[in-house]
Amino acid sequence: MKTDDLIRALAADTAPEGSLRAPMLLALAGAMAVALVAVWLVLGFRADLAQAVVTPVPLMRWVLTGALAIVSARMALVLARPEGRHEVRLWPLAAVAAAAIGMLLWAYVTTPPEGRQMAATGKTIWSCLIAIPSLSVLTVGGLFWALRRGATTAPALAGAIAGLCGSGAAAAVYAVHCTENSPLFYVTWYGLAIMGVTLVSTAVGARVLRW
Amino acid sequence: MTVQSDDWGVLLTAANAGDGPAYARFLAVVAPVLRGIVRARGAGLGEAACEDVVQEVLLAIHLKRHTWDRTAPVRPWLYAIARYKVVDAFRARGRRVHLPIEDFVEVLEAAPERDPTEAGDMAKMIGMLDDRSGTIVRKIGLEGASMAETGEALRMSEGAVRVALHRALKTLAALRERHVE
Repeated sequence: MKTDDLIRALAADTAPEGSLRAPMLLALAGAMAVALVAVWLVLGFRADLAQAVVTPVPLMRWVLTGALAIVSARMALVLARPEGRHEVRLWPLAAVAAAAIGMLLWAYVTTPPEGRQMAATGKTIWSCLIAIPSLSVLTVGGLFWALRRGATTAPALAGAIAGLCGSGAAAAVYAVHCTENSPLFYVTWYGLAIMGVTLVSTAVGARVLRW
Repeated sequence: MTVQSDDWGVLLTAANAGDGPAYARFLAVVAPVLRGIVRARGAGLGEAACEDVVQEVLLAIHLKRHTWDRTAPVRPWLYAIARYKVVDAFRARGRRVHLPIEDFVEVLEAAPERDPTEAGDMAKMIGMLDDRSGTIVRKIGLEGASMAETGEALRMSEGAVRVALHRALKTLAALRERHVE
């Protein structure tokens, strides 16, 4: 087949395809909604939720995980464009990480020494380490589905960013159940769950986001 | 109304808004530039094989054209796709290529090469499509039939031909991937 013939066939296919932004955000929001219902049905919301969202220290959980989800969603949209790998800036992630570590240090200093161990271990490590990755299957899956329509030239990096975004969103959803209020707990264990999901997403992205 | 321009951005903007002739013009302007890159990089691969790679890149550009942000310049977008696909295509043919982006721009500014050669791979891939899809791609591509004529010949509505063509092109790219692995 001559290239001119191929061009004629391609030019005849004018079916328009919209941009990636709306489908990706919709997929993420949809996945979060399903995750929220799942948490409500299986685990239940924390009884003092209304109180927790207006108290600074517990509130920081949503601020940190929400910030992670938002900055990585923006990065994912940049990376979804072929030239995006040269444009993407990673420092917002470093800023979120620095804020999380800052919270952790602040909590370490302000918690009395005899209370630190208890605050860090809490009572729900396993619930946290199981629930966040499980909920991430929904959110990260939705992101991958949307990103496959994109054209990333850095599939592994895009996978990692999708993992951070999806697990950040999943952690924010899980936080409506979780009653552990100390940053010693939530920065540590949410952080570990998020890192685990990101590791897996990187490997999956390297395969799934190729085109 | 079709845009009368050779500016890539203008043509691609019109193309993404559904302007077929502007899109054909865009691809026609871009193809020789791609050919220049592929031939410069794939010396020794043979003209027909180079043309296969050019067609692969064009198909990729087609299927990913919605990822171009109309406020961004076209060239970096196009080069990024070309680079990704050319590396992929050469790797599949057992060649390792190193394509630094600066190099790329240099090659792109060289005189574009003309004289399209017949390429074989795409015809093979079209042969792997189901009969109806294959016929649609051949009729529109090789015979230059319109959507309406193709629809009439296959007793399909124009809309159905449109959908089938789009699916067929997607399938071609997927076949290409599998063939490459």
